[in-house]
Order: sequence, then C-alpha cells, then structure tokens
Amino acid sequence: MKSFSSRRAQAIVVAFAAGSLVLTGCSENKGSDTGANSKKDQQEASVQSKAVTYADAAGSTGPAEDIAGAESGGTITVYQEAGLSHLDPGQIYVSDAGQVANLLFRRLTQFQEDDKGNVSVVGDLATDSGKSSDGGKTWTFTLKDDVKDAKGNVITSADVRHSVERLYAKFIFDGPTYLQNWLSGAKYRDALPKGGFDGKHLPKSVLDTPDDKTVIFHFDTPRQDLPQTLAMAGYAIVPAKDDTKEKYDTAPVATGPYKIKSYKNGKSLVLVKNTNWDPKTDSVRHQYVDGFNFQFGVTESTQTKRLIADQGGDKNAIQFTGGVEATQIQDVIKNPSVNKRTVKGYQPYVMQLTFNLDRVKNLKVRQAVTYALNSKSLIAGEGGVYGGDVAPNYFAPTLPGYEAGYDPYGRLKTPQGNIAKAKELLKDVPAAEKKVVFAYGNTENGQKRKVAIEDALSKVGFDVVSKEVDAASYYEQIGKLKNPYDMYVTGWGQDWPSPSTVITPIYDGDQVSDGASNYSHVNDPKVQELIKKALNQKPEEAAATWKEAQHYLLEKVVPAAPLWYTKQFQLSGSNVGGTRYSSVSSLLDINHLFLKKS
Amino acid sequence: MLQFIIRRTVGAVVTLFLIGAVTFFLFVAAPSDYASLACGKDCSPQRLEDIRQALGLNLPITQQFWDFMSGIFVGRDFPTGHCTAPCLGQSFYSGEMVWSTIMDRFPTTLTLTAGGAVVFLVVGVGAGMIAAYRRGSVVDKVATSASMVLSSFQIYLLGPIVLWIFVYSTGWMENPGYVPITQDPWGWFVGMLLPTLVMATIFTAQYTRMARSSMIEQLAEEHVRTARAKGMSRKYVFFRYAWRGALIPIVTVLGIDLSSMLGGAVVTELTFSLQGIGRLAVDGAIHKDLPMTMGVMLFGAFFILIFNILTDIAYAWIDPRVRLS
Repeated sequence: MKSFSSRRAQAIVVAFAAGSLVLTGCSENKGSDTGANSKKDQQEASVQSKAVTYADAAGSTGPAEDIAGAESGGTITVYQEAGLSHLDPGQIYVSDAGQVANLLFRRLTQFQEDDKGNVSVVGDLATDSGKSSDGGKTWTFTLKDDVKDAKGNVITSADVRHSVERLYAKFIFDGPTYLQNWLSGAKYRDALPKGGFDGKHLPKSVLDTPDDKTVIFHFDTPRQDLPQTLAMAGYAIVPAKDDTKEKYDTAPVATGPYKIKSYKNGKSLVLVKNTNWDPKTDSVRHQYVDGFNFQFGVTESTQTKRLIADQGGDKNAIQFTGGVEATQIQDVIKNPSVNKRTVKGYQPYVMQLTFNLDRVKNLKVRQAVTYALNSKSLIAGEGGVYGGDVAPNYFAPTLPGYEAGYDPYGRLKTPQGNIAKAKELLKDVPAAEKKVVFAYGNTENGQKRKVAIEDALSKVGFDVVSKEVDAASYYEQIGKLKNPYDMYVTGWGQDWPSPSTVITPIYDGDQVSDGASNYSHVNDPKVQELIKKALNQKPEEAAATWKEAQHYLLEKVVPAAPLWYTKQFQLSGSNVGGTRYSSVSSLLDINHLFLKKS
Repeated sequence: MLQFIIRRTVGAVVTLFLIGAVTFFLFVAAPSDYASLACGKDCSPQRLEDIRQALGLNLPITQQFWDFMSGIFVGRDFPTGHCTAPCLGQSFYSGEMVWSTIMDRFPTTLTLTAGGAVVFLVVGVGAGMIAAYRRGSVVDKVATSASMVLSSFQIYLLGPIVLWIFVYSTGWMENPGYVPITQDPWGWFVGMLLPTLVMATIFTAQYTRMARSSMIEQLAEEHVRTARAKGMSRKYVFFRYAWRGALIPIVTVLGIDLSSMLGGAVVTELTFSLQGIGRLAVDGAIHKDLPMTMGVMLFGAFFILIFNILTDIAYAWIDPRVRLS
C-alpha cells in the first residue's frame, strides 16, 4: 500500500519504506563517484539484496553499537520543504513523519542495519523479533524490562494492546492497515468501533495480553511477515494513559531518544533529548546530539544551495526527506569537497506505465508499448542517473528476489526503446487498437513524462491521445474501475522487504475495485494461485514463488511496462558525522548522526 | 466622518462575507478535494468516507459554510478542542487552528511590510521629491536612471543574487529567518534585513519614479505658480503646497501595496524561505486546505478593505477639497 505519489501528493512525499539496499547501491559518497556506474550498482545490489533476518534476544539487546569517532552534543538543523503529515503514530505512513518517528517512537520490533547493508528485525520494546507458533498463525512478544515513555511511565502490554486497538477508531485513517486487516478482516472497524476507548477490547482469541509483559497475536492464516509489519512507524506505541485521541496528532508522547520541545506544523519542530530513554534497552538508536531543529518551508533548491555553500550554521545541517535538486546535481558531483558529503541509494519504487486491461486487451499492443518506451528520456526528466535507473522488471533493487539481469524486453540493452521489435508486434494490429489514451498528472514531471511517452509511442505507429488529469486527484481518477484511460504512469514500493507488499497490492485479482491499487485490473488465475501459495510460505520458500509470479506477469500478462527505478541523493553539512544511506528508510540514516565539533 | 466610517465598516463586513462565500463555493466546486488528496492511492470508498467524516466534509455544503462563517463570531468546537472566536476553522492539512496559525505567521509578514514601507517611503519618496526639486540635475538623472534599472528587477532575481553574495559565497550573513523581536531584537533585525531590503528595493524604485512625476505635475499646477508669483520661496511652495498634492497618488498606491503585502508577500517569502502569510496562502491552495485558504483570503481581504477606508480618510486630510460623503 505504498505509492510513489502518496497521501500528500502535491508535496511528493515518499512513502516510508524498508528495503534491503547494499553498500554499493546505497552509501556515503567518497567524493569520486560520478554516477556513471549505476549498472554496476544494480548488479551488485542483486548479489547482496537478500531477505531480512529475524534477530533473537542477543541481537535485540542495547545499547546500539558505538559509531567510530562519534561525539556528543550540538544541535542538527534539519531542512524540509513541506510540513509533516502527522505525528500520531497511528496516522504515520509516509516518509516525512516516518523519519521523525525514528527519533520519537518505539515499536514492538525495529529494523537494524549495519554498514555492510545487512538488515535484520530486532526486538525494540520486545525482547526479540517475536516467537511464532501454530505455523505462523500465533505470534508472542515479551516486553523488555523498565522501558519508559517520556513521562517516566513504564510501558506495559496494556499500552501495546491500546496502541493496536486505537487503530480501529475512525479518527485514525491515514496509517497502515495491514495488522488490523489481518486481525479482524477488511471491515476491521466494525470489530471495535470505538477503538477501545469505551473500555471494550478485542477478544483474547485475537489479541491477548495475559500479563504486563506478554502480547500474543492470533491470526487465521500464517503471517510470516509480522515482525517486519510491526516495525512500521504506524505501529509505534501510544501509552494508554496519555492518549488524547485527535489531539495526539500534534502533541504525542515520545518513547524514543528524543521528545518534542515545540512544534508548529509547516514551520518548525524542535526535538530535545528524552531523558527517560535508556540506551541499554535500545539496540538501534543513538542519542549523540542534544537535539534537532527542523525548519520547514525550505525548498529543495534552497536546501541544496545552503548545503553546497556550507557556511555558518549550515555546517550542522542535513536534508530530511528532500534530495539534491536536479538542476544542481552537477554542482555537487563536480566538486569533490561537496560530493563527499552526499549519500545516495535506490529507493524502493519502480515507476511503470500501467495498462488498463479492461481497455487494452491485446497482449501484442502491451508488449509493443513495453518495447517502444524510452526509459532514458524519461529518466532524464527525473534528474538523470541520480534520479533513476532503467528498470528491466517489476522488482526494485531494494527488494529481496531482485534480479538485475532479468530483462525480458531488453530494456537494459536498448533503454531508448526497441523500435523494430515494437513495429513487428504491431504489424497485424488493427489501427483502432493503436489509438491509445494516456493519462498524466498536470505537474512539471507529468508534462515531461507525457512528452517522452508520446514521442516513443508515436515512433512505432501509435496514435496517442494524452489526457491531463488534476495531480491532486490523479490516483482517484485512475483508480476508478471504469476510468476512460488506456495507460498511466504509476509507482510502487515495498512497505517492508518482501515481494508480498508489491505483487499482492498491485496484481492481486481480489483487489480489483474502485480505489484499489490494482490499477491494471489484472485478475489472472495463475497469479492468484501463486500469490496464495507465497503468502502461506516462509520468506525463504516464498522467494521462488514470487519470482515465478513476476516472470509470469511480465512475460505472459504484461499489466505494466517497467520504466525506471527511483534513486535518492542527499546532502549534509561538513560538520555532520555518521552519515550513511539507510536501506530501511531509503534516506539519510537519522539514527546514526552526530556532530564532529559540537 | 463618523458616519463615513460606520458606513464603510458595514460595507466591509458585507464584502468580507461575499468574498468568503465566493471562495468557499469556488473551492468546493473544484474538481478535486482534500479528502481525495489525503486518501491518495489505494483509496477505497470506505477509506474516503472515513476521511470525509473525520474532516466534516460529509456534512451538507451549506452547513459547512454556515459552521465556518458563524465560527468567526462565536467560535467552534472540534474533536481536538474548542476554537475561540474569531475562529477561521481548523486546517485539514496541519490540524492546527487557522487563526492561531495566521497569528503565528503574521509577525513575519508585518516585519517585511513595515520594514519595507519605512525604506521605500523614506528613500523612494525622498529620492523622487529631490529629483523633482532638482529636475534636470545630476541628482535627478542618477535617481531616474537607478529607479528605472531597479524597477525592472524582480525579487526572484535580485533575492538569489543577494543571497549568493552575502550568505552562500562569503558567509557574511546567516540564512534569513524570522526571530521574534521580543526574543532577540538583533536576531530579528539581522534575520529580516536582506528580505526586507530586497523587497524594499523594488518598491523604492517604483516610488521614486512615482513621487518624481507626481511632484513635477504638481509644480506645474496653477496654484503653485500663483504662490510663486506672490513671492513665496520655491522651497516654501514646494513643501507647503506641491508636496501635499503630490501625496495623493502616492497614498493611493501605498494603500494598495500595504494591504496586498500584509495579505502575503508571496514571492519574497518563498525566495527567502520565510514563513509568512503568503506562504500559508500558497500551501493552503496546494494542499486543497479549504479552511486555511479561506482564512488567509479573508485575512488579506480585511487589510484591503481597511486600507481602502484609511486611504479615503487620508485623502480628506491631505487635500481639504476632498469631502467624505
């Protein structure tokens, strides 16, 4: 359930993600990389893009490993263009709030990554990543001793139960819904309409808290991904006695290493140390700096200028979820002293041209479009090699199961499109089927994509009718089952490192409905069978099934033409230490920073 | 005078209501709404309904409008708490009360406006008057040429140049930003200096040209010539008679400029990353945030109406021939 252009579509906030990037594809820059080796990055990512491991108690015990050379003290200035969407954990789904959540909130589990790109799920409030039984239908978590919130109250299993149950209340509408759906079905709100605020609780057969330290989830089908799901910011803990319902969104109680000192949404956010956070209970986070001073409303262009200049207070500044502005990329990479202050890596998104299968029924037409598209010109509009790389298939380099060499349409060899092959496929196609309606959002990027796609398709004989769609309601428009378009650009990325959060939401035939994310309306029996099979398998077994599903989809069904993988490229001030690309957030690792001279 | 003020105040209230109504219904009639934007991808009808309900968008349009307008006078209750009058609603996007957000951002815009006005009135009008007084002299030529060059600049061009020179390149100054004057007077002054000067520079050039031409026109009036014929000194006639007449067009434009600046100096705020009223207006429109857009529109309109009234009063004070009727 993660879109590239997400809930706050205008701000182009990027959905909070977990990935399994590698050091080659995501790293602190040493100042010499010009980005020309992106193909090599992809290939190496393929080698190292492996499934997340689940840590035991030893791996979940704090404190986090010290960062070499780290100093304590000082305040980091954080530049961000748009304000935060939410601060109530239950409402957090996108990366801006998700990044803040990494500083403020703790969950039952958390992702931990090392400098080699290995990602594991560790116990955060829990002593480990969870113990499954009953074939994955039952999961038990035991809470660590004396973990306190910012008010000094010990977090108990009642707080965990409350944090889950409050998600059923109607005022929580913007966060992830995986857990609620798994526990209570698609109409989960009916199971607890008041979200537990009326004293009623979910039955023990669903969520049980037999004592202060134990939390047990019961599902009707195996949920092997649960430890990863619970690591999402949307499932962070809200202490029961401090829950102020709707008001909580602007004044939440911290459980992580920092707490809110002041907050004016869209203007400023000041974080200071949470003195009740105990590093001995946390194997992931650090508390090197005294605080973070967020300044909102600073455009990516201004952020980049300030950080390139690196004057005064900007030496202590970072970009938050924004990246180096496309027109200033050359200024950064050509200056080694600036370039070495960057981090870069793949984001989890694969941009694709999705076909409306209710209208484009001819497989040859879909294949011809896939061959004809010019990924190179599309990527140029996104900032070149720093904005994206050619995508030969549906799996991003961040996804376990990614195959760098899997390129059935030869897009890596002919990124500008295989005109001859496309024409050959269209040879016997009636003229009426060559007239296609392409929908695009009325943004600057949308315009660029329109030009590139029109140009590529008209070269092979398509008659492209482009329809501009209001960017704010773009997904609403293309999400209608009876929409009047043949094709549209969409983006998708995993919610955690598993193809289950890619194949299922966008290719599951059970999810063909108004507003659902299956924009191609694909409903293929074999795909359904493979999805069902994979969801009941353990991650390592499921990998082969997901691979088979992708191959079948891309070669036999073609619900979408893969276009490009998106990339992140961020800059920080010269006094900021510990910078590295986080494969978990697809951003600068906010939990790994310090100031060299405070 | 009192009758005039009462009549204009009533007219202003009616105008504000009409502006509010037009803004509201235009916004509602737009092809997309905030709920759709918030719902984003994977937006099921149920989820869309949940958002509409949470934001009160499922209520009849007329009731939403009535709730908004009545809240201005009597306040409103929201799930997050009571919003005291004048309540301009609660932002869909940030969840904060619109009035308190506007009040939080207003000092930035007020500083820009007031600081800019001081500069362009003193320097701009002053230079224009001197140029007119010494028409044809070197001073006049310099003032005329400089104002012509500067008035052709735009804030979005001059701003980045100034930032590059004083901030990015040399580091002589920190990034512009607003600090409350009560908290740090020096920080307030330094933080707002560059944006204020850049904005004032553009206006200064315009006021120089306007003041010069207006004064030259006044100096050619018959009553000025008569005064000179009676033996009054040039300086005396200049400041006693011509000056007041020349002020009329300046005051007219000043009223329009100040009211629009207080309603949001959008380009200046965006260029210098300041969080003022203009920025709020832009963000409100981008996010389809109806309460915020309504609030900022009404706030800006309020100043336009107030300055209209003040301008009319100023006319009567400057020129006794003008009667408020």
